[in-house]
Amino acid sequence: MVVGDVATAVDVLILGAGPAGYVAAIRAAQLGRRVTIVDPGPPGGTCLHRGCIPLKALVTASERYHEARTGLESFGIKAEGVSYNWSQVSAWKQGVVTRLSDGVAKLLSGNKVDVVHGTGWFINDHEARVEGEHGSLRFTFDRCLIATGAEANPLPDIHFDGKRVLTPEDALALQEFPKALTIFGNDYIALELATIFARLGAGVTLLLPGDTLFDGVDPAALRLVQAGLKALGVQIVQHARPLGIAGEILRYSTGESANEQQAPLPCIPSLGARPRLANLHLDAAGVKRLPDGGLVANTSGCTSNERIYAAGDCLGAPALASIAIKQAKVAAEAMSGARVQYAPQALPLVVHTPPELATVGLSPQAAEAAGYKTVVGRFPLAANGRALTLGTNAGQALIVSDAESEVVLGVTLVGPRAGDLIGQATLAIEMGATLTDLSEILYAHPGLSEVVLEGAESALGKAIHILAATPAKASR
Amino acid sequence: MLEFKLPDVGEGIHEAEVLRWLVKPGDQIKLDQPMVEIQADKGLVEIPSPVAGTVKEIRVPQNKMARVGDVLILLDPQGGSQKSSQPAKAAVAAQPASAASSVPAPSTNGAQATQRRAQAAPAARKLAFELGVNIDQVTGSGPGGRITMEDVRTFVAKPPVQTTQAAGAESAQADLLAARPLGATLVASQGESTTTESREPLAGLRRRIAERMELAWRTIPHATAFDEADGAALMALRHELQPNAEKQGVHLTYLPLLIKLLVRVLKEFPIFNASLDEERREIVYKRYYHIGLATNTPDGLIVSVLRDADKRTLLDLAREAARLTEAGRQRRLTLPELTGSTFTLNNVGAFGGGGTGVPIINPPEVAILAVGAIKERPVARQGTIIARPTLPLSLSFDHRLIDGSGSSAFMRRFKELVEQPSLLLLDSL
Repeated sequence: MVVGDVATAVDVLILGAGPAGYVAAIRAAQLGRRVTIVDPGPPGGTCLHRGCIPLKALVTASERYHEARTGLESFGIKAEGVSYNWSQVSAWKQGVVTRLSDGVAKLLSGNKVDVVHGTGWFINDHEARVEGEHGSLRFTFDRCLIATGAEANPLPDIHFDGKRVLTPEDALALQEFPKALTIFGNDYIALELATIFARLGAGVTLLLPGDTLFDGVDPAALRLVQAGLKALGVQIVQHARPLGIAGEILRYSTGESANEQQAPLPCIPSLGARPRLANLHLDAAGVKRLPDGGLVANTSGCTSNERIYAAGDCLGAPALASIAIKQAKVAAEAMSGARVQYAPQALPLVVHTPPELATVGLSPQAAEAAGYKTVVGRFPLAANGRALTLGTNAGQALIVSDAESEVVLGVTLVGPRAGDLIGQATLAIEMGATLTDLSEILYAHPGLSEVVLEGAESALGKAIHILAATPAKASR
Repeated sequence: MLEFKLPDVGEGIHEAEVLRWLVKPGDQIKLDQPMVEIQADKGLVEIPSPVAGTVKEIRVPQNKMARVGDVLILLDPQGGSQKSSQPAKAAVAAQPASAASSVPAPSTNGAQATQRRAQAAPAARKLAFELGVNIDQVTGSGPGGRITMEDVRTFVAKPPVQTTQAAGAESAQADLLAARPLGATLVASQGESTTTESREPLAGLRRRIAERMELAWRTIPHATAFDEADGAALMALRHELQPNAEKQGVHLTYLPLLIKLLVRVLKEFPIFNASLDEERREIVYKRYYHIGLATNTPDGLIVSVLRDADKRTLLDLAREAARLTEAGRQRRLTLPELTGSTFTLNNVGAFGGGGTGVPIINPPEVAILAVGAIKERPVARQGTIIARPTLPLSLSFDHRLIDGSGSSAFMRRFKELVEQPSLLLLDSL
């Protein structure tokens, strides 16, 4: 027992200051609760410091570089001697991170949230201990939010060593730019890492565990992305199985074949994330875990201990900040007595590949599997005026709707700024909009969002800018 | 053969009592024909047959508890064709996300799973959850059946009549607390040794009472006024009417008399018959008078609802009150008899209590009147203490809507009518 171990009473104690933790802290503070947030690092978590933000910063930098080098000539612009300095690119990236992190710190202090640097764990169902820079503290909480995030899943026999086998976070923080590397995975992180390193001139081998670049996405859309990656020189290998490391080489096999193949190191497995819950002493607090490692919780985020809530990656859901942020608000409000739940109808997914891919709701295949009779509309980007003025024609819009009611079930967009355009599709699905709803409103012209209009009208059999082979009827 | 299992009747209840079987083995049964009444903590739930066919075997006898998922009955569907197409379709449509189960992960990439979802905007869904409404039960008024926020509010105000289950205004309010797996884990955790303590789950009616009380106490700023009325005149009136009532087969208690007086006072002070629409921050004045009657049952307190008290004669009130009391004791009240009261009268005297206490308001009402037993008590009159039959009164009111002066005026008028019930005749038709 620590001398002078006096418990500090707080309304809400939050473990973890990532997108779930800091958002919950601010929302709870807005609702008048006294909040203490605990994290060993600066606020912002994996997303801000080591994940999403650095990743997107490098996506942008690599895109600008690549375009300046290869993409301007068609516009009649000549750029000579284009080069980049990896350490300056990294410094710019770090500048973005620092600025955002400072912003979060200001928001927390502006909302009178107490920030404690340290690591917390449960003593019992209403107390937690925090070991931090100022020694050991004990907190008595009315409510506690677990928002400790997740960490990269390793390969079964090939362990992360920070040199030859890297987590995606390691890859984003490389001091030296690698000549070649191998990425194993088929999620947005794997695809974006492949894009960044290929654009900046590394030899990239992308090993897919199965045959698709991204599960659950329309194959026609994926073909466009695959073509884009190949144009960057990415070697794509399907049905790959990493076998082990030998010197400076990753050994792997493909399909049924027993033949061993070789790929360059470093190797970056991107296999999703596992909840970071090991040191929380959940047993002491009566917080139960799911067999798969996540937490037992209801739709409000309440765990098996009614004082303790959870939000974000630690729940075991797909590790996406969009989910974490919403769950955090729900949990903060529920912890403050509101009756609210996390129940979005559709999850937008965005991949910053060339071309950009964004999808929300159901793919045609998933909608059929869910028992819908569907009507599908497609519209190629090549027929969109704005796309051509942006210098691209690789892309498409795909709209899936329920044949009976015309209600929009899913939208997949490929092309520039697809990740931003998908927002209107998400709104349409959440609002229960129909194809007619989408076709009745105005779209700025010429504009990329017109692909949504044309996609909807294509499903209705009346798109203007393409010739309909057959009036759209339950095209499968 | 179809095994019919006890469906999840919502809000995370895990077991329910089989109250009465409406069919027996060998019976021919039609699709949607009521099979069994079960006692959930919200009241009676009638479960219809998911198929047409023959009743083969009853697995859970009357008055036994069944857990969600237990096989209640074996049915032989006609032609054997419909079995799998009708997954446990009760009158109850389980909540999409029952209280304490799964991780709130969104389905992979989109629209939630296989079931055709209700067409409603996110704000309407949010409101439905907040009000404890299963949005799948709401009928949409928008194009293509789209459910508006107004539809959700209307559903709460006027639940469909034939639905014996939940989702009425009152139960929606009661649901406010059900978002959390209340108590279960805390109660079940370790503690003192079993020799000095025993524990039992907070379940059924007791849990519902606990939730309602907690809701009321937590959300309504209560204030209470106490008084005492001279009961001599009321005793005399009852005494006088009793023989005539008996002739018509009615046993006249004080309760119908008090209701009669109360309705008059409620008409004069409409705010006491109002409710607060917290969502819209509006006061809802009601021009109907459904009087909630706090009734003691072996399992605990319930409030039965005597509807349209203002349109009933004294005899009618007496009959209806007696019927409700009896039905309440047998836990045979249906949803309309349990919901929708506009003001509650708590006859503490009937429970054997002498005085009154601080009655807790029955949300969404704004006040509650408790009356004690008419007994002789010492009263000071002109410098001496004499014994008079008196009626203790206490009135709790929602201080957000009603001030002390308003409650005093209400109490003064009620007391006046108790002490001189003939005043009712002055301006009556």
